[in-house]
Amino acid sequence: MEPRPQGAEEAHRLEMTGIAKSYGAVRAIRSGELRVRPGTVHALVGENGAGKSTLIKILAGAEQPDSGEIRIDGRPVGVGSTAAAIDLGVATVYQEPQLFPDLTVAENVFLGRELRRRGQVDWVAQNARVVELLELIGLPARYATAPVRDLSIAEQQQVSIAKALGGEARILILDEPSAILTDSEIEVLFGVVRRLVATGVSVVYISHRLDELFTIASEVTVMRDGETVGSYAIEDLTVRRLVELMVGGTPVEATGRRDVPDVPPLLRLEGVSSGDRLTELDLAVRPGEVVTLYGLVGCGAADAAEVVYGIRRASAGRVLLDGAPVAPRSPRHARALGIGLLPSDRKRQGSFSFQSISFNIAAGNLPLLSRAGVWVDRRRERQVAREAIARFSVKTPHERQPISSMSGGNAQKVVLARQLVERPRVLVLAEPTQGVDVGAKEEIHRIVRGIADEGSAVLVVTTDLGEAIRLSDRLVVLRAGRAVAEFAPGASQADVLAAAAGDTADRAVPA
Amino acid sequence: MTTSAPDRSAPSAPTGASSPEPGRGRAGGASRVGSAVLRAVLTQRVVLLVVLLAVVVGVFWNLSARNYLSAPYDAGYMALALINLPPLVMLGLAQLLVITSGRGGIDLSVGAIVSLTGMVFGLAHGRWGWSLVAAIALAVVFGALCGAFNGALVAYLGFPPLITTLATYYAFSSLAVVVTAQQPISTPPVQELYFLARAVPVVGEVALPLSILVFLVPTVLVVWLVTARTALGRRLYAIGTNDVAAEWSGIDVRRTRFLAFTGAGLISGLVAVVVTAQFASARPDAGTAGNGLALPAITIAVLGGVAITGGVGRVSGVVLAALLVVWLNAGILLAVPGNAGSQLQLLALGVVLVAAALLNGLSLRRYGGA
Amino acid sequence: MSVPSPARSRGREGASASSGRVLPFPVTGQELVLLGVIAALWLVLGLATPAFLTSGSLVPLLVSTAPIALVGLGVTVVIISGGIDVSVGSIVMVCAAVTATAMTAGDVPLVLALLLSVAVGGALGLVNGVLVAYGRVHAIIITFGTLNIFRYVGLQVFDGSTVDGIPATLAVFGRGEAGRTAGVPHSFLLVVILALAAWVALRHTAGGRHYYAIGGDAHAARLAGVAVRPRVLLAYVLTGLLTGLAACFVIAQGTSTLAPNVGLGLELSAIAAVVIGGTSITGGRGSVLGTVLGALLVQTVASGIIQLGWPSQLSSLFIGVFIIVAVGVDLLRQRGRSSS
Repeated sequence: MEPRPQGAEEAHRLEMTGIAKSYGAVRAIRSGELRVRPGTVHALVGENGAGKSTLIKILAGAEQPDSGEIRIDGRPVGVGSTAAAIDLGVATVYQEPQLFPDLTVAENVFLGRELRRRGQVDWVAQNARVVELLELIGLPARYATAPVRDLSIAEQQQVSIAKALGGEARILILDEPSAILTDSEIEVLFGVVRRLVATGVSVVYISHRLDELFTIASEVTVMRDGETVGSYAIEDLTVRRLVELMVGGTPVEATGRRDVPDVPPLLRLEGVSSGDRLTELDLAVRPGEVVTLYGLVGCGAADAAEVVYGIRRASAGRVLLDGAPVAPRSPRHARALGIGLLPSDRKRQGSFSFQSISFNIAAGNLPLLSRAGVWVDRRRERQVAREAIARFSVKTPHERQPISSMSGGNAQKVVLARQLVERPRVLVLAEPTQGVDVGAKEEIHRIVRGIADEGSAVLVVTTDLGEAIRLSDRLVVLRAGRAVAEFAPGASQADVLAAAAGDTADRAVPA
Repeated sequence: MTTSAPDRSAPSAPTGASSPEPGRGRAGGASRVGSAVLRAVLTQRVVLLVVLLAVVVGVFWNLSARNYLSAPYDAGYMALALINLPPLVMLGLAQLLVITSGRGGIDLSVGAIVSLTGMVFGLAHGRWGWSLVAAIALAVVFGALCGAFNGALVAYLGFPPLITTLATYYAFSSLAVVVTAQQPISTPPVQELYFLARAVPVVGEVALPLSILVFLVPTVLVVWLVTARTALGRRLYAIGTNDVAAEWSGIDVRRTRFLAFTGAGLISGLVAVVVTAQFASARPDAGTAGNGLALPAITIAVLGGVAITGGVGRVSGVVLAALLVVWLNAGILLAVPGNAGSQLQLLALGVVLVAAALLNGLSLRRYGGA
Repeated sequence: MSVPSPARSRGREGASASSGRVLPFPVTGQELVLLGVIAALWLVLGLATPAFLTSGSLVPLLVSTAPIALVGLGVTVVIISGGIDVSVGSIVMVCAAVTATAMTAGDVPLVLALLLSVAVGGALGLVNGVLVAYGRVHAIIITFGTLNIFRYVGLQVFDGSTVDGIPATLAVFGRGEAGRTAGVPHSFLLVVILALAAWVALRHTAGGRHYYAIGGDAHAARLAGVAVRPRVLLAYVLTGLLTGLAACFVIAQGTSTLAPNVGLGLELSAIAAVVIGGTSITGGRGSVLGTVLGALLVQTVASGIIQLGWPSQLSSLFIGVFIIVAVGVDLLRQRGRSSS
């Protein structure tokens, strides 16, 4: 372990100062600062859109800053590419392990930079080095020769860390490593991080699970709205204080109401579980009500949406519609029951990229738009598309425009319009405004509110705190697969975030 | 017109991400028109095919007028050459259905289905004394069953289409040979079918083979109606474009893909009748001799603008591509008589296919989107 | 929303099975199964027709396996890298035509004939490789196109007739006495040697391992620093070279006359051998030893059916069934793994 000079500028392994970055008109970072000491775990936190992932991409060489300076060990450096970052000793481990399942652990670690001897891969030397790395990260040595597909997700992530370390990293960036792990797996991860830090590596640790920072990080840098709010020693913070720093002072204006008519719920979930990701969720949504499931990535809210829409089967519990148990088998079945869903991954699950707007809308409403279920009524197809364009103010010259040529917000409106040709009894929206500009976000929120006002039961699943608070008539917070708190409109951001991030000591008062 | 064809709207779009070079459009009137034409040719396969067709026919007419050809390349000759059109277009459409369904969709077994169904048809009509209509119905049903076998493996069991149809290519072609111990069936009822291949006068002295009117035109019409006008067609393009999004939109992805393969088999069954009539004999290697019928069919489909990645493809493109190949081949035979001519046809087919595919890649890079 | 389930097998078994070794088990399950199936078939055929397990029957079997297995070696690499090559039948035709014509025209020594054929094959493979690696077009389209183009080139060489009076220069790879040593056909021996070399190269060189990475995820492989395009190019060139050599076997095994239908449909036999051998058609997984066994199985069935006096075309039916079984078993195995 290196000696740690106190106070001096040289004490920092990494210094990023005055970083600014814009994407077109959007300013992702206005002034980013990050200073990391050698051999420490430095947490980087902030709400979605605060600018932390952009800051990390700049450090990893994936993006170029508009201005600002990066110093490593006191020397100014240019990180022009991901390769340059690796040469500088900056290694990044992303959330999803990017490994080749049919190659062994050792091969994955050394892919593209194999050790060679007489033209052949030097398996012995390579395995010896991998065994060292595996010991460092706490995996059995025999894993060196196991195909990656035989490893669990947590183990694969550890292999990713080993791969990143293979290049003699001095700065290791872990981008939300815990989001997809179980509690016991997180413990293993922390063991790895501690061992690494003990060897002098600096770790930049990004996480939304604020409680875990108190067990792993020594310093925290908080970002909000593209600016670094400040850096703090972990001892000086509580989860509550951290949350307040993240959300700032300005309250979100809630559009939700308390006066939802007290009628029987349209959609009910009773003790619904899905594997080990969602545990015994009880939920009721009345007609005209907007209920939000809010939580961090991996909290199980997304799984709840998939159960309701028939993508995923509930392993326990039941879904009731109008008091009658239904078990949606497929999206087709769910839609026949009057359940609609706006998927979270628009590109993969929502859009038919090079097809037109009218095609995209019609694709989900073919029984409705065809005569005798066979012939497409092209006039109605066109008419429905034009109505949707007008109703949701989609910016496009005509309904024949391919959806791939449209902005995120407009494309999202088209995908949403597909579910609204016939008003669904239950509408589930998963991350309805992800990757959408501010104007479109407000319009989509207005549309969602309108659907509820017409009498649909609306369930919003989101990781966007502002959205959750603004939109809900009732807000349910999930954490690690369980509902942990419920809020009425007007809840403070800090309270909600604290509940989601696991502030067990300082639990918010449920509504 | 199918709404699924992305190229229809792209060129007229005044805005949008599909135009990465905004400065290009502002450069003066003439070059603006020129670039619009170039863009249409590059991005709209039908336009490209029409241009190529005009060039091919123009060149051969010209050569014919100057007496460079061994026989006149006139309307009558061109009509006569169309006898080769039905199998090409029909199997090209079969590939269109399967390739458009996406996930590596392709059908190597169509030629083998033609062989096997041809034998079944020959047995029914030529040996068992079934009436022509009943035998044709049997051929259609039998072909559809063969296609359904492919479809069940691919759509419901998740087999890769290329390998599945390679396997059934082997199996069907083997059964076709074994079923009559290699003997073709050319009993009098089968021989009489040759009337279907004979030309009948249509307009003036232009005569078209009867099989075009009886089999080809209805098939083209039905496939066009299905792909462009029915809910099933919309589902087909949807699953080919993005089968996850299709599933999430409530479309039965498996059933749609299954039907695409079944449809390809059905068309192949019909082709078996056409080919049997053309040979006046049901031959066990009718669809598999030489390179077989599957390869030309795939070539025609790709040339016609069917994207191997799925979700894109139009009936008009396939028909034009087949016409182009047939009239090009017919011209080559007159320009280069004998064996050399038929060899040159192979070269032309290969070069046109590779060039068309490379052009696809180029226009994708240049104009994005479509 | 679709984060993969962590409830996978924890890999203890898979990992511990390979402890103490520097690499996973050298032979795949599919290869052992194939070996068993071939052994069982030989036993059954030996019992059913006493003539089967004699050199008079086994030598032709091994000889006819050689060209398919050889072409299959190259196609295996291509398929592992995520591509496909359906033009190999036409490459055999061109190589055989050029080499046979040259041999009839003058006294070409054995080595020169081999070099000529291999060089022509390599050149045609280069055409495929450049178009596939740099043309951004799916390999199946490109090689369907070159299938026709190469066929045209071959027909030009044949010039409308057959090549007659081919001297016995290549008899060392033929069916006759000159073609074997101690009863083992040279052609099959050479295939085994080349297969072992390819096996070592795919398993023990960085370049060989890169093919698996490319077939698994070409984009990720590029990010990891793998030179994807040159690698892919090389796979097609390699296939061309091996196919050129296979063409010499084909000449040697035939009569002194070569007809233009040579090589027709060989691409399908080769692909069948590769797939039956356990290589995944979607890339990223496979082995050349499996391919040799696959080719041997295909030819065993063909030969067995003839020995049993059944119609020879029935062997195609069995090939089809074998392919479906092989792919089905592979799918079941994958599903079992992802659901356990």
